Amino acid sequence: MISVKGLRKTFHNARGSVEVLKGIDAEIADGEKVVIIGPSGSGKSTFLRCMNLLETPTEGRIIFDGQDITARGVSIDKVRMQMGMVFQQFNLFPHMTVEDNITMAPVMLKKQPKEEAVEKAHALLKMVGLEDKAMSFPKQLSGGQQQRVAIVRALAMDPKMMLFDEPTSALDPEMVGEVLHVMERLAEDGMTMAVVTHEMSFAKQVANRVLFVDDGQILEENTPDAFFSNPQNPRAQDFLSKILEA
Amino acid sequence: MNRSFSDRMYYALIYKDRWHYITGGLEYTIIITVCALIIGLILGSLSAIVKVSYPNNKKNPGLWILNFIVNIYLTVIRGTPTVVQLMIMYFIIWQSGTSLQVAIAAFGINSGAYLAEVLRSGIQSVDRGQMEAGRSLGLSYGMTMRKIILPQAFKNVAPAIFNEFITLLKETSVAGYVGIQELTKGGDIIRSITYDAFPPLLIVALIYLVIVIGLTQILRVIEGRLAQSDLR
Repeated sequence: MISVKGLRKTFHNARGSVEVLKGIDAEIADGEKVVIIGPSGSGKSTFLRCMNLLETPTEGRIIFDGQDITARGVSIDKVRMQMGMVFQQFNLFPHMTVEDNITMAPVMLKKQPKEEAVEKAHALLKMVGLEDKAMSFPKQLSGGQQQRVAIVRALAMDPKMMLFDEPTSALDPEMVGEVLHVMERLAEDGMTMAVVTHEMSFAKQVANRVLFVDDGQILEENTPDAFFSNPQNPRAQDFLSKILEA
Repeated sequence: MNRSFSDRMYYALIYKDRWHYITGGLEYTIIITVCALIIGLILGSLSAIVKVSYPNNKKNPGLWILNFIVNIYLTVIRGTPTVVQLMIMYFIIWQSGTSLQVAIAAFGINSGAYLAEVLRSGIQSVDRGQMEAGRSLGLSYGMTMRKIILPQAFKNVAPAIFNEFITLLKETSVAGYVGIQELTKGGDIIRSITYDAFPPLLIVALIYLVIVIGLTQILRVIEGRLAQSDLR
């Protein structure tokens, strides 16, 4: 589905430059669920954001669905239509109702008739248990509800793959479950997923593979069982011991 | 000239239907203000978009040129008096234009320069996650600007836009310089006929004041409506 080759990313600021990604190679197969974990500042979010080119890679190639999307002249908007993304801060459009948040992109980009888009939006909202919130504005919803709407908004485009950037990190603890539940459901339905998260339980239950990222590199790559019970890399061991203590 | 106040009002307004100078003038004032505001909003939005897009795309040569043009536009317009701009437009740049066309263009261009800064701060006040969310769905930069960023930006700076509207309304009082009989000029004509300055100037001032108060009330209502999506 997607393969990342020799990905490097350097950020430039007033004080100089920081190399955040130092050569990443990874592959995610069709229908696979990959969880990316690592300490904060490790570059895991940047890695994810490079996959749909929200960050432009400094070096390396990203091949999505057989197409090199880092090549010149590729219409990135067309690629992004097939790659949904869910953000830590939800990023719903506050001036639109939930329904308009969901239907806007399909109607504008896929020329889907409005009624059809609305019907689909309602079906998706029902799936996440929010069928009565179609006419609400985002600020009238709780964080967990907003994030579920954000997932629906991405799904409404019928993406081939979903990227999750710490989808539960901004939520109150009691709302984490409802969002993870939706993501588990999505995984069961066969969606290809790349998830940056600190939710180890989700990684254990849902992931086919765990990538441990630190210092801009993938230090360990393994099945969740093997990774959590017997991590090989010393930094992964250190990271896990800190997380599991807490 | 020792007549009563009502007599003076009568000669200023009623006698020989002189109130036509006021109502006709008011019509021009409103036409110029509204048309110029629309032009100003369009020019201002475009300029603001160029100003916020340029820092992220410094390598784009087209944008560099646009940014350069916008900077000159803002500097020249904000650095010279409106009346001078109006006369330059009328006597030099657009000699073939009618007074009304010239006034609308000059005031529109003028107000666009001020609105550009207002709208730029409005765009910058919108969380950058909004642009990312729009782009991640596959919307282009322009679509995201139009559908997601600008509506929120306009809402954030609605009071400042209204201020510009009010300023513009009062600034049109210099349109008489290029031969337009707008409200102020209408009052001035009455003064020159009656040789009595007080009544027409009082009327003219009151009309401006009433319109501004009315606009301020409308702003309150609009702000209430716009806040709808903020209600919890």
